[in-house]
Amino acid sequence: MTLLDSRTAPPAAPESPKPASCGAVVLRDLGLGVRFAAAGGREGWIRTLLTAVGVGLGVALLLLASSVPHLLDERNAREQARSETQISDSPDVNAPKSDSSVLRINTTTEYHDRTVAGYLMRPDGSTPVLPSGVTGFPGADEMVVSPALRELLAEPGNELLRERLPYEITGTIQDAGLRSPGELLYYAGSDTLTTASGGHRIAGYGDERAGDPLPPLLIVLVVMVCVVLLVPVAIFIATAVRFGGDRRDRRLAALRLVGADIRTTRRIAAGEALFGALLGLLIGLAFFLTGREFVGSVEIWDVSAFPADLVPDSMLALLIVVAVPLTAVLVTLVAMRSVVIEPLGVVRRGRERGRRLWWRLLMPFAGLAVFGLTGRISAYEYAPEKPFGIAAGSVLVLVGLALLLPWLVEACVNRLRGGPVPWQLATRRLQLSSGAASRAVSGVTVAVAGAIALQMMFAAMNADFNRMTGQDPTRAQFAGYSEDVTGEAATSAVERFRATKGVDVVIGSVEAYASKPGDYADEDVQPTTSLTVGTCATLRELARIDACEDGDTFVVHPPGDKDMTAWVDETARKGKEVEIGSGYGKPLRWTLPAGSPTVHGRKDPMGETHYGIMATTGAIDAGKVPGAQITVQIRVDRSVPDVAEYVRNTAAEIDPGMRFVTLDSVERDRQYASIQTGLQVGATAVLLLIAASMLVSQLEQLRERRRLLSVLVAFGTRRSTLGWSVLWQTAVPVVLGLAVAVAGGLGLGGALTWLIQKQVADWWLFWPMAGVGGALIVLVTLLSLPPLWRMMRPEGLRTE
Amino acid sequence: MIPDGSLLAAHDLRKTYGSTPALDGASFSVHPGEVVAVMGPSGSGKSTLLHCLAGIITPDSGTITYAGRELSAMPDAERSALRRSDFGFVFQFGQLVPELTCVENVALPLRLNGVRRKAAERTALEWMERLEVDDLGAQRPGEVSGGQGQRVAVARALAGSPKVIFADEPTGALDSLNGERVMELLTEAARSANVAVVLVTHEARVAAYSDRDVTVRDGRARDLEHAV
Repeated sequence: MTLLDSRTAPPAAPESPKPASCGAVVLRDLGLGVRFAAAGGREGWIRTLLTAVGVGLGVALLLLASSVPHLLDERNAREQARSETQISDSPDVNAPKSDSSVLRINTTTEYHDRTVAGYLMRPDGSTPVLPSGVTGFPGADEMVVSPALRELLAEPGNELLRERLPYEITGTIQDAGLRSPGELLYYAGSDTLTTASGGHRIAGYGDERAGDPLPPLLIVLVVMVCVVLLVPVAIFIATAVRFGGDRRDRRLAALRLVGADIRTTRRIAAGEALFGALLGLLIGLAFFLTGREFVGSVEIWDVSAFPADLVPDSMLALLIVVAVPLTAVLVTLVAMRSVVIEPLGVVRRGRERGRRLWWRLLMPFAGLAVFGLTGRISAYEYAPEKPFGIAAGSVLVLVGLALLLPWLVEACVNRLRGGPVPWQLATRRLQLSSGAASRAVSGVTVAVAGAIALQMMFAAMNADFNRMTGQDPTRAQFAGYSEDVTGEAATSAVERFRATKGVDVVIGSVEAYASKPGDYADEDVQPTTSLTVGTCATLRELARIDACEDGDTFVVHPPGDKDMTAWVDETARKGKEVEIGSGYGKPLRWTLPAGSPTVHGRKDPMGETHYGIMATTGAIDAGKVPGAQITVQIRVDRSVPDVAEYVRNTAAEIDPGMRFVTLDSVERDRQYASIQTGLQVGATAVLLLIAASMLVSQLEQLRERRRLLSVLVAFGTRRSTLGWSVLWQTAVPVVLGLAVAVAGGLGLGGALTWLIQKQVADWWLFWPMAGVGGALIVLVTLLSLPPLWRMMRPEGLRTE
Repeated sequence: MIPDGSLLAAHDLRKTYGSTPALDGASFSVHPGEVVAVMGPSGSGKSTLLHCLAGIITPDSGTITYAGRELSAMPDAERSALRRSDFGFVFQFGQLVPELTCVENVALPLRLNGVRRKAAERTALEWMERLEVDDLGAQRPGEVSGGQGQRVAVARALAGSPKVIFADEPTGALDSLNGERVMELLTEAARSANVAVVLVTHEARVAAYSDRDVTVRDGRARDLEHAV
């Protein structure tokens, strides 16, 4: 009997299902892709995880960036809540006292380059107002401190700070009273503070006034900082969704073998990317939430934040949730257009027809056109729409640079010939496929280009926000001024500074006002000039004095100012009396010696020109001069460790309220400085992200070539040969990327400085950023060498 | 222990991967110009033996002697140098470097030995001509057929004037016609240049091109000459 004779018919083939609708097919294929990504075994999981972690890092950074507006709002609100409602700002005003008013003086100091904000407070009555975050008014010689300051004071090695703040800690300032968790702040109690010693009276806390709006130029800067930091993150996310693409393509080839058409494979790939991106969103959220908990304990360049302040803006968060998966799908579909997946399990890169230049140039030119349409912006014009035009134009230019790079790399490497074996291996590899290398570098290119443009803007705006103080830090590094230290105490204070460890020179003078005696009507102005008492050495720093002995006096004219010279001479009449300290009780009458020579004043290290009457300590007893105040300018020996802290401690001992400053030739605008700090923090995060991306991409390429590396090792190829080939393979796109970044950054910077109606201050500003970009690449290459060594083991040849 | 006149000889090799023994007391020898086929089923330890003989991996115990020198005692750098100068390799899938052209692939061992590019490529082209693939010089491996690629790989193995060629399943990925042609060309070229060939295969048809067979089973090599 044959099968044909059988009575039972063979089982009928199942009926073909009805053709599904287009939407159902798309959903089915996407679902299949998600299944491959989620259940594709170890290989599949590695690829999905690589993508998800990469996307997650980018998403975490985007969520962080979207939290900045809320962070700043909360911080400003806390600062306003604790700022004082002042009744008097000078001891001359008879401010009304009340049961709740408080006398207060700012005693902010610096310790190891960190600001320690502080106030000395004395209650006027029994229910003094309290700053926010403080639950009880500190008693005399007690203080309440921020947690960061409490920790700093408790750390060993900070004895000098403890010496400076010799108060007993009786409480902790709560978060509501702090700008950030890392803030060093204290409020100390006093029972001796008076208006005469510099205190001013406050009625309460809470400043209802809105803060000053950012000047237009700074708004442009903030917008540019956001663009420069966020465009590389977007490029990073687009790169991350292509991690492990080669392995995915091989899997798709197997699907082609069983009948999947090209469209199906693309949809499946999109499904895989979608899953990776969605998982990345979740991982990013987890990174963000986890990182947020630690952010309170981390401080970078004096910047820290309370976890509760980091809340993403809802619209921005929604944008991230929608844009990231969409980007992943689009990038995958675009990437797959250049890949030919054939059914025989072989994935062959289509013989690419060469990248076209024209459409890559469209974006940068479109960006420049947007700049043109936006128009120039002036330093005084509040035009709320213009920064958006600048942002859009900058995004177009920067993305355009990222698009230009693959074309440039391909065009250049195709011209490279010959050379030693490592060079040949590297250039041939790039000629075969330069896409992955270009993608890996595109983030750095955009980041560096943006940073160069920003640096140029910062430099162009420098003059607007950085003021030359005229101070000369080579003559003195610190200056102190106290209204509380008068008379005898003033002269001894100068000596105490001189005796401080590490102090070289103290230009310490006692200053008071000298007036021409007489009766003056209300409308008349009594001729008055300044009296400066000091040693010969001190006076020589303040005036052009050749010969000086103790007991000498001088009439000092301001150089080149005839009117002021006449005014000085009106008071400083040689051989005649002057009144010293009018307005401070009974004035002292003193005769200016007839033989007093006339000299010219000179600028002191603070940049101020002194004139009037100058007297050595032997000529007049400074301790008996009424209304005298102390001014010290101190030069120190920088080689003495902690010399600045010794000097500050002496100042705090003499008068906790002494205004004590570090001399600096430039004074920076606070808002401008905080934008620069923000850029530093953001750029560090972005560069770390890019480095991680490059490392993953590099390792992935090495993993793909593991077997080939083993074969080359079997031939006896030296490790150094392969190491150099990896280095060249990275270096060539990097050099080209940096060239694009420098050219593009200078172009963008030039355009932006034109937009803000400034001149380019320095065309050579690109060096540091280009250096940072180069260093990043070297770092990534070095980090990828150990895995390369491991993959160069002959064991890679084993197949069983 | 070591047969007289042998160029490469191994005695009592043992090698384990984790807890799996790959070689368990294997011995082997080959003379100059001799073609020896190493046969055996999958997982028997043939490739491990070949990798040990070539100095790619070191055995856990046993000795390997090449031209009177103790190979198993050499440091990695010295073994690498020896592989560059005296050994050639042919693998199952050719394992050509995909980004280099065929002529550059063939010239690679010479260039690794410090020969200048033009001279290396000239020699490479001569070998490609002998192996009938000289017209493929400018093509990349992805653009040639499996049989052509394998002949390029044989040319690469011979180009560096090696004393021994190690061929691991050189026809495993080829059809019988192409496989036979590759074997003919490999053995002819090797014999004419007095190059020894260690040929790992599990096909008797391929082993027929050899002068002598060695069978590996459960990590033990039954080398008939060695047994004598």
